[in-house]
Amino acid sequence: MAALSFMHVRYAYPGMSQPALDGVTLDVEPGELVLVVGESGCGKSTLLRAALGLVPHFHGGELAGRVVVDGLDTRDHRPGELARHAGLVFQDPESQLVAQRVRHEVAFGLESIAHPPDTIAARAQEALMAAGASHLTERDTGTLSGGEGQRIAIASVLAMGQPLLLLDEPTSQLDPVAAEELLALVTRINRDRGVTVVLAEHRTGRLFAEADRVVVMDAGRIAFDGTPPAAARHLAGGGRWMLPPVAQAFAAAGREELPLTVRDARRMLGDVPPASQPPPEAHGTRPVVSVEKAHLRRGDTEALRGASAGFDPGTVTAVLGENGAGKSSLALAAARLIELDRGRVRGSTRAGYVSQNPSHHLLRETVEDEVAYGLERSGVAAPERAARTTAELDRFGLAAFAGRHPRDLSSGERQRLAVATVTVMRPELLLLDEPTRGMDGLRKLALGELATALASEGTAVALITHDIDFAAEAAQAVTTMAHGRVLADRAPRSGLAGGLFFAGQVALATGHVSVAEAAEALRAGTEATRV
Amino acid sequence: MMLVCSALLVAAVAVDNPILLGSIAACALALLLAGPGSKRAYLIFAGTSALLVFLINPFVSVQGLTPIWHGPHIPLLDTEITQEELAFGAGAALRIFASALAVAAFVRIADGDLVLNGVSRVAPRSAMIVALAARLLPTLERDAAGIALAARARGATASGRRSAADLVSPLVSLSLERSLGLAEAMEARGYGVGPRTREPGPPADGPERVVTAAGVGLCLLTSWLLVFGGGNYLYYDLLGDPVTAAAIGGSAAFAALTAIVIGAVRWPR
Repeated sequence: MAALSFMHVRYAYPGMSQPALDGVTLDVEPGELVLVVGESGCGKSTLLRAALGLVPHFHGGELAGRVVVDGLDTRDHRPGELARHAGLVFQDPESQLVAQRVRHEVAFGLESIAHPPDTIAARAQEALMAAGASHLTERDTGTLSGGEGQRIAIASVLAMGQPLLLLDEPTSQLDPVAAEELLALVTRINRDRGVTVVLAEHRTGRLFAEADRVVVMDAGRIAFDGTPPAAARHLAGGGRWMLPPVAQAFAAAGREELPLTVRDARRMLGDVPPASQPPPEAHGTRPVVSVEKAHLRRGDTEALRGASAGFDPGTVTAVLGENGAGKSSLALAAARLIELDRGRVRGSTRAGYVSQNPSHHLLRETVEDEVAYGLERSGVAAPERAARTTAELDRFGLAAFAGRHPRDLSSGERQRLAVATVTVMRPELLLLDEPTRGMDGLRKLALGELATALASEGTAVALITHDIDFAAEAAQAVTTMAHGRVLADRAPRSGLAGGLFFAGQVALATGHVSVAEAAEALRAGTEATRV
Repeated sequence: MMLVCSALLVAAVAVDNPILLGSIAACALALLLAGPGSKRAYLIFAGTSALLVFLINPFVSVQGLTPIWHGPHIPLLDTEITQEELAFGAGAALRIFASALAVAAFVRIADGDLVLNGVSRVAPRSAMIVALAARLLPTLERDAAGIALAARARGATASGRRSAADLVSPLVSLSLERSLGLAEAMEARGYGVGPRTREPGPPADGPERVVTAAGVGLCLLTSWLLVFGGGNYLYYDLLGDPVTAAAIGGSAAFAALTAIVIGAVRWPR
């Protein structure tokens, strides 16, 4: 018997004419690790919610066809009953933790399914140990980092002992290190404990090779279902951005054989010329904004300790660093949104800042009003306001949503709207704080192109990010930070190729910074071999 | 702690004597200040509400026999201010202040998990609301800061009346989105299907027993004031004498029991 079966499932959310799932048929066998990939809004999350009966029992709407979990039809069993058979870990750690203390959080599910009281504590503790989170037992859930929160969410599901684990983009809110650790944990749970895993994910890097099967979804349908190498060949044609970066480079070079890991790529790289060291890219002598010897204490933490950095006009600068390195504080200081304890900020006062959570930018009732809000507050006259608003809506592909409520937009559209609310003010420095959180590869490409376009108009663009692969593709200069200090200010992006921590998958495998550069080198290598 | 805060809240709502109301307000304030976390927002809310009630009452109330000021005639407003109206306004302000702080102390200090477990036995749906409130409050604070920052980045300030109003609606929308997500997560983990079990907690230690005993004491004290009228007081037509044996004794008892609670609890920092 399959662990999970979808039989001709068609589902539409209430009030929506377009189905979120459209004729889905899928069997997942016990012990399999299935990776589900696809563009944002293609139905991945709905698929996982349907597997636990949350669709349609919690969300409403109409479901046709059958979903069977561990032999139970979701039409006849509510999510609460199915919770004994399948567990779901959601995207956002903050909105799925119920209890105040970690110990109680892990016990919550067991208590809900009426587990014998005497064994709850032991089972919860064991689940925490299995998830590598026993040191967090007595912590307040409000103080957990994103990675810790997801570990606790997984421990909570493990404690309930369900044979099927569903994960909905569990790394979308995490930095690369925490994401790697989490995915390694999921793989270990699958391999060592035999738990069936169905995981929807944009960061396919390591998982692509680890999965037993890769399911590609497109507009609510299953477009492909097969082994990772077969899926890679399928995606090389029309969905390259869903592949691990290293496979993207090989596919872009027209190679038939695609590596799925850095190790595979290195093995196949005998004929690629080494990366040449380009001359250092000179940066402008007069940055638009510079932060000098900044010191800042936020709560108990010294967020900035003498940090100095500048942002050049016409340049996309990536600000990289671990969690707590002081990246956001530097950005807020540059935008003059926080007062420094010591040090100063020089240069333009026209800096725009887009925060990590685009929902924080949504203040008005319509998308059009939202974009116009900043102009209105700045006293821009109505005719000019209308013209600039319309132009910005067109530029970000939001014109069709002008009359819609901003909160009716998808997460990708919200992100674009948040950026538009700031770029409409024509800032000389645009600071984007973790702009790729929860974004699929296609949207990242579009964001990178947008950043480049803004820079070509003379704007200084700063990408405050953990996403090394994105920085490698989009940035022209790199500022690195650690412990509140700037390690390198506006260093040439070519430095990313030789980085230890600040190196993406492509750089680790090929020595070239971006997919395009690696692909070019691969093509050159192929030509040389032919000659 | 639930007993302590509930007793203070009920007493604040039920008694009229200004000495008792002042004592209860002081107890609630001490309890809140002793607890962890930021209290600024609660203090501002409680203080502003109390001040508003104190200022408005004399102009909308037409009672009392001891006038102390006659103002010009303004339609719909009573501009003859009496001593009794001022005293009643002060009492009502103390009542609002004490009630708000008792609720704030509960939210800040009570163990949300214990409350959830306790309430879910008798009212599972209400427990969900309690859990949502307890979990969402800190998130709400962070969201409020994030929204204010994003608005400031677009030229708005949270200090202006209009700007502050602009920020309330998105905050409510965002918290509704979050609560929906939390409710979904709870259902996904089997909540509300049938009777729950409960992980047996560790046996109560000395300080916990002391807090429980003090809570019971506060409940008994409040009940005694209600049943025997020890908290009664007349503001109109003429002010009564607030200094009674019940008021002095009751105030001292409230203060002593609250001090015992504050002294017994191991406050996290």
